[in-house]
Amino acid sequence: MWATNLRIIGIVLGTLALYTLIANKIPQVQSEVPHALTLGANVTPEQLVAAGDQLYHGAGGCTACHGLGTRAPNLLTDEKGQGPIGARCGKREPGKDCKAYVYESLTSPRAYVVPGYEPIMPEMGRILSPQQIWALVAFLESNGGTVDVTASDIPAAVAAPGANSGAAGIANGSTDPMAIIRGAGCTACHKINGEGGAIGPDLTHVGSRLSANLIRESILFPDAKTAKGYEKFKGVMPKTFGHQLNAEQLEALVQFLAAHK
Amino acid sequence: MAGGMMLLQAAADTAGAYRDFPVIGSRAAIWIAAEVHLMFAAFVLGVPMFAVVAEAIGMVTKDARYDRLSKEFTRLLLVAYSATAIWGAILVFILATLWMKPWAYLTAVFAPSMWLYAALFFFESFTLYLYYYGWERWKHGRAKMVHVGLGVLLNVWGTIVMLIANSWLTYMMTPPRDITPTTDPATIKLWHAIANATWMPINIHRLIANVVFGGAIVGAYASYRFLAAKTDEERAHYDWMGYVGNFIAISALIVLPFAGYWLGREIYQYDQSMGITMMGGFMSWLWVIQAFLIAVLFLAGNYYLWVGMGRIPGAERYRPYTKWLLVVLVLGALVWGTPHTMIADSRELAAMGGSHHPLLGALGVMSAKNTAVNLMILTTFLSFLLYRRANIRQVVPWAKTGTRIQAGMFVIAAAIVLFFGIRGYFVEAIVRIGYSVYQVGAVLACIIFVTVIDVLMARGAQSLGAIQWGKMPPRSQYALFILAVTFTWLMGLMGFARSGIRQHWHVWQVMQDTSQYAATPALGYAAKMISLCVLIFLSLVAFVFWLGGLAEKSTFVPSTVEAPHVGH
Repeated sequence: MWATNLRIIGIVLGTLALYTLIANKIPQVQSEVPHALTLGANVTPEQLVAAGDQLYHGAGGCTACHGLGTRAPNLLTDEKGQGPIGARCGKREPGKDCKAYVYESLTSPRAYVVPGYEPIMPEMGRILSPQQIWALVAFLESNGGTVDVTASDIPAAVAAPGANSGAAGIANGSTDPMAIIRGAGCTACHKINGEGGAIGPDLTHVGSRLSANLIRESILFPDAKTAKGYEKFKGVMPKTFGHQLNAEQLEALVQFLAAHK
Repeated sequence: MAGGMMLLQAAADTAGAYRDFPVIGSRAAIWIAAEVHLMFAAFVLGVPMFAVVAEAIGMVTKDARYDRLSKEFTRLLLVAYSATAIWGAILVFILATLWMKPWAYLTAVFAPSMWLYAALFFFESFTLYLYYYGWERWKHGRAKMVHVGLGVLLNVWGTIVMLIANSWLTYMMTPPRDITPTTDPATIKLWHAIANATWMPINIHRLIANVVFGGAIVGAYASYRFLAAKTDEERAHYDWMGYVGNFIAISALIVLPFAGYWLGREIYQYDQSMGITMMGGFMSWLWVIQAFLIAVLFLAGNYYLWVGMGRIPGAERYRPYTKWLLVVLVLGALVWGTPHTMIADSRELAAMGGSHHPLLGALGVMSAKNTAVNLMILTTFLSFLLYRRANIRQVVPWAKTGTRIQAGMFVIAAAIVLFFGIRGYFVEAIVRIGYSVYQVGAVLACIIFVTVIDVLMARGAQSLGAIQWGKMPPRSQYALFILAVTFTWLMGLMGFARSGIRQHWHVWQVMQDTSQYAATPALGYAAKMISLCVLIFLSLVAFVFWLGGLAEKSTFVPSTVEAPHVGH
């Protein structure tokens, strides 16, 4: 029986050793933690580019999609004959220079999706600090273009109202419902108290039609139910407010709208 | 901020957010405690399912082997429950003393469910005692039905306990999107936190995986007892038990990937970046290892069946086919294990000649992999079918037609799998993902309809001889050990994948891990930890088995004497 026991132990240990060995022979990739960047007022473009380079190839997780040629556009190499990102970023959206375009791509990636790709990029403002985002902008500009990010951009980003995906969020974190409605761009489609567009349902008396729970659902999952007469606009309303509003803002907005009977 | 935030702040201010564990560090400490606890938990959830089904079959068929099998495993459960509780207590103490920050947060959100969890564990334990110690008292007639009912109740308690624990870990992965870092945890509604995006997919996935695991452990136990058996009768019993364990493990394994797809889809829908991290980011190599492990499972499971056909009169008719089944399995495993989208630096990309390997890149995509795994499942099912039919000759007048229809169903299912596999190369990703549903549907339909036809065809079939239980070469039993080790290791690997995709977050994008262990380690380190946990678990399980053997010597021998023909 001892021989059988030893054989069993040998098989168990051998199997474990084999799996451990194989897992140690393949490339070892560790998930990095994005370390807080402290960039002083005298930060140079070179320092920003170096910090962005580290983030791009490490904790930013950018290389999981960019550079593979299938999930997302190549950024550091040529993309369809247009050169690397620094060379083409200024021509993407009319009226937007390279810096503004790349910043928007990082913080509101669904604002402009390059044709041929799915809108799968996460809002980096939820993951990285404004300093880290500007370092990434500088690094991307440096690939085929000119770096024009300066230290003055960084504090501006922290305080920038309407920098929706930044740490402060919509309306700079304000819980004033009308500030949220304007900051989130609701009035581009919805009318409330005579202000706003007519693409989506009028919100002036929304509280008489929908309960607070349904209003909350409509904000978080806009396609869950579509108001009668607006079926053709299904899918237009962004599904990102759950990410962009904090809980206090969401509740303030829901209660405000529910009170509009 | 109220209650919960104050609790968190107090924990951070007074004791620090984290403490370190001597020598091995806090990460290794909690890894071992959580993993070994989970392995025992899977054991004590999977085996009762196995036991109660076996008891019910024994009650209906009046086959005493099933009752003996069921009782034998229930006896092992008594010790395994204690081990589960001990490791659970270790896990809680480690959380409370080393990981105070996330623990304070989770208790603030989930406290009521934790009290319920403890109460249910109490009920579960006492139902088990009643189930085991009442075995002989409630053995016949209506009392037996009540006893089976106790077994069902035991499973109900166990499943609810699992659902509760799953809610905690899935919340950490996919907290509802309206919860942010500034949300006071005390204000979060309990049900809102429980019913998060991945809760139900994980529940289903774990439920099936526990059946697989239970079957594999039963198989390993049976193989050990088979190798240690001193009489033909014992060998026959444990050979049969090993077959039943393997059958259940592989049958449940076949449906497990479908539950896995659902879980993966929910992760992608919740957060694309999390899905990409899992499948194409720093964890991409993990799936190559997973493919290798599953290939081992398929090959070992099929090998066991093929060797087992040697003890079945009439099986020699099917022996020539096994080499072709092996070819399909090996080719399928190679395709499934082909890497595709890997993180590579510019030097590696240049060496490869592009972002994908010029030749193998085409095999590493989802279209090829789904095709390969579906064909492997069909092949394994065919092995089972041949095993099932080995010692019978159908006598129903439509037997030939039935066999032709079965063959046609295999061909059609394989053709559908291949068609959508090839077409997947020419369509958009979003369309391609939908094709996997058709492939899976074709395979499942084939399995269901072919089985129904086979059962009908076997009515009144002529026997070519009884299965020679016990006449199994010892090498087949080592395959069962490899299956059990591989299932356990795979469970550890998938646990790492599920937990690791949170990366440096305790609660995804809500509570950041600021400890020195925030970075998720590479696969090499994870593999060492998994192997260590599997070794600890298997060593303890071997001890449980040994204890079971000791108990049997004093209590079970008389009943075997009364039923000398067990196994034939």
